[in-house]
Amino acid sequence: MSEALGRVVATERKPNTPHEFHFWTAIDSPVGIGTIVRVDGAQPIDGHIPHIYGIVVEGFSYTDLQSPLHDVLGHDGSPSSAGFAATERAEIRLYTAAVLRQIPEEPLQPVPMGQVFLAEEADVQVALRMDSYLREGAHTGIPVGVYRAGGTDAVIYLDADFLLGPEAAHLNITGVSGLATKTSAVEWLLSSLFTHFPADKGSIAAVAFNVKGPDLCYLDQPGRVEESDEKLYEKMAVPAHPFPNVEYFAPYTAKGHTLNTFRNNEALLDKVTPLTWGLREVLQFAEVLLNKDDVDAKADALIDFIKENVVDKEFRDPVLSKMHRVQSFSDLDAWFRDVLQGMEKKDGESWRTHHVATIRKVRNRLSNISTRCAGLVTDSGEVSDLPFGSFADRTVYVVDVANLEEDAQDLIFARIVSKLREHLERRDLGVKHLVVFVDELNKYAPGDGADTYVKKMLLDIAERGRYLGLVLFSAQQFRSQVHRRVVGNSGTALFGRMDADELSTPGYAVLSPATRTKLATLEKGQLMIRHPHFTQPIFVRFPRPAVMQGREGAERYPQAAEIPLDAAVLRALRQLDPSITLQWVQEITALYNEDEVIRARNATVLGRPDNVKAYFQAQFRKIIPVQTPARPMAASIKSAPENDPYGF
Amino acid sequence: MLVTNAGPDAASRAALRVLTQLLPGVSAVEGAAWTDPVIPSEPPILRAAQLVEGATLRAIRVTNASRETDSGFGAFLDGTQSVRVIGHHFGLPIVIGTISAAIRVRSNRRLTTWGHQPPRVQRRIYAPLRYLPQMDMSMGTAGNGDWQIVDTSTADRDGNYPSQHPSALLESATRAVDRDREALEDQLAEAWCARGEAPLFVDGGINRSAKVAASSCALGVIKSHRTLYVEGDALRTVMGLKRGERSSIFRVSPRSRNSVLSWYLRLRDAGGRDPLWGLVRIESAECDRASERADEVSRWVMAETTPLALPDGRWDKMSYGIRDCEVFLRAIS
Repeated sequence: MSEALGRVVATERKPNTPHEFHFWTAIDSPVGIGTIVRVDGAQPIDGHIPHIYGIVVEGFSYTDLQSPLHDVLGHDGSPSSAGFAATERAEIRLYTAAVLRQIPEEPLQPVPMGQVFLAEEADVQVALRMDSYLREGAHTGIPVGVYRAGGTDAVIYLDADFLLGPEAAHLNITGVSGLATKTSAVEWLLSSLFTHFPADKGSIAAVAFNVKGPDLCYLDQPGRVEESDEKLYEKMAVPAHPFPNVEYFAPYTAKGHTLNTFRNNEALLDKVTPLTWGLREVLQFAEVLLNKDDVDAKADALIDFIKENVVDKEFRDPVLSKMHRVQSFSDLDAWFRDVLQGMEKKDGESWRTHHVATIRKVRNRLSNISTRCAGLVTDSGEVSDLPFGSFADRTVYVVDVANLEEDAQDLIFARIVSKLREHLERRDLGVKHLVVFVDELNKYAPGDGADTYVKKMLLDIAERGRYLGLVLFSAQQFRSQVHRRVVGNSGTALFGRMDADELSTPGYAVLSPATRTKLATLEKGQLMIRHPHFTQPIFVRFPRPAVMQGREGAERYPQAAEIPLDAAVLRALRQLDPSITLQWVQEITALYNEDEVIRARNATVLGRPDNVKAYFQAQFRKIIPVQTPARPMAASIKSAPENDPYGF
Repeated sequence: MLVTNAGPDAASRAALRVLTQLLPGVSAVEGAAWTDPVIPSEPPILRAAQLVEGATLRAIRVTNASRETDSGFGAFLDGTQSVRVIGHHFGLPIVIGTISAAIRVRSNRRLTTWGHQPPRVQRRIYAPLRYLPQMDMSMGTAGNGDWQIVDTSTADRDGNYPSQHPSALLESATRAVDRDREALEDQLAEAWCARGEAPLFVDGGINRSAKVAASSCALGVIKSHRTLYVEGDALRTVMGLKRGERSSIFRVSPRSRNSVLSWYLRLRDAGGRDPLWGLVRIESAECDRASERADEVSRWVMAETTPLALPDGRWDKMSYGIRDCEVFLRAIS
């Protein structure tokens, strides 16, 4: 047994309670805020010596000096002479600890007097109730970090049943930006989750929305791992290597030449799949993009009519000049044009109860979508999507929306999450559990402001997702500004270094001033954790993720600039067939306009044919080149006599 | 030496339980009355002493004394006592006395308890047995819960017994506690000197024990001056000592005690205050080159004036190490 490092003390003014106790230590003891200690009671209760586990939440230091003035007088007002004093004043280190657990748990009594010991690894497991889920045969622990104090290194585990459901679920991370906390913590935790998630609980995958910068763009590339981090990886039995299975999805730029992602460097394009949707996909989520102020009930009714009766159907009407089969935005525009022309001809003000003004407004709004979400929404209706139905175990699907307009981001988020939910409800997503990571929750689920579609979806995941296996890992800088039901439903909360203003908000009042101070000064790689099994927040260290960091990746694999169409086509096709040359592309595409070339490229990339050249070529309509007829030889009216002396 | 009248209630109750067994009819004192501070055994007096340094007593500036001077003391010895009347038997006071003593060793400028001899704490019952014939001492110590009973009605050197006057008996009990405390301090000082460790700062005189008085390890620093070892001009010289000045060395050799060298030292300027303000008397074993030794020890004692011993009221003369001893003893006794 280790040596005692302190003694419990209690006075009438500062008594111990069942949830808090005080102890003193030697001045050079390794105790600090966040240290876990064990108290061995002196008197047995029901024949058992009580053991109380606590975490230090406050510290005090003082001397026997009654007034600061006495020290001034003692040193004649000269601070430098204080160093010559023969004796240091008696000084105390007094700590307050919050009780983590008492054994036996009943009767729950105030903490007794006793000796205080530094908690060893086994003590930490008991103190945090981890012993209940680290049992042989029922191990559901997911390492989240290492608790370190005074020579004790103890792995802290989260309970998978409380992280991914069904008992509790969801995780929320808060921390100031720029200190490699939020994204790094999620990357590390996903690595740990994929390594330690119990096989008997089924498959697991993650969908991460990259909403800013290149942070999540290089998850498959190895990063720099320090020796100290390697030890942490080893301690937590997580391999220090990048994610072996990552798939990226990004829409095209507005011009459509290149993918709109930080990961569009040619060397990394093989794992990037274009994300393009057509009319059908978008119309389901029209309300995400359409402003409720302009789209009233009448417009809503028309949109519903179009969704139900027009899209993907053979639509005939006396007012129309022909039968329409609307499959893309361009088809829809043609349909609108026909309807409006038909109404004009009949000089009618309404068609099927829809007023002409409503029809014009809806046309305007819907047509506008393909412009606002250019690159994502295609006129032609081609769909390139996440592999719903065939999600693979231990795979990360990154959807890069960092460079998109807000509308497009909302649309992508809403549709993907809805699809994930639908598939999980039907149990046909391909994996049993899915983690969705969303950063900048301040923006997507703010505590105030209008109820947007995205916010409602986030609330829905937070409140009901765990029953489906849909788990939200969310992050933000200011937890206090996120909707309370989203953070409140997060069973696990991680906190990196915090801003002092944020810490002064009421949500942090439950933390002691010392704990708040520690939070405000946390180093990189340190987190405070709240988890349903832990009765108090715990501080841990986690290793730097073994993946390339965003900044380093952006330097090593610079983002490709907007390039000419033929070069962009070459770049896309060469991923499928390296023998394709620029000259070949130029020859094939020379006669076609830009839209046709983009469509052909998209179809080829989507189709992934064996014979890429033939497939690409086949996408173009046949154009017989105009051949300039050879000038016919004019026959002489009369042939010259063979012996004509003037003939040539 | 600190004199307080505090006593732990638990100890009082335990002592009362023993008393009621030994002395049926004893009346417990409600709330345990406090005794007055120790009554001095002698009135303030001036007493001539034999000069050792020079022909007349004079003020001598302590050489090389400065703020940066290191103290040579390695430890501090002090004792405490507390006295409480816990019962009466037809007016005869019965008290419990708690005495304690400890040596606090300095290491890296921090004080800790000396490891070789644990601090001593003793609790005893002080009763005038001569006037309590009913007290059934036959019960022996087995029933006394390890309480030792000290007779406060023994005859003095002249064979006179103390009066039955309750105040006289209380004074006698207080003196007995005082003697016990001094004996405890002497035991610790002797143990220290036997090991010959670093110089020991003793709160009070060192001349009660022959071993301590003869040891170069122990140096006594006396803060109270009921007996001033100067007369006439010498008195004026001592009263006029300035900060950092000491008197000439003289020899103190009381009848019943051991001979030691001694000198006065002014630790703080007494301007505008009591003339005894900041004045201590130091006792040292007889030695060769006494002047050099007096200067050296004076420098050490002056170095011990920081940090201040405030809030103790005797901070002008008390070293912080002695205050630390007292606080420590108060905590454990």
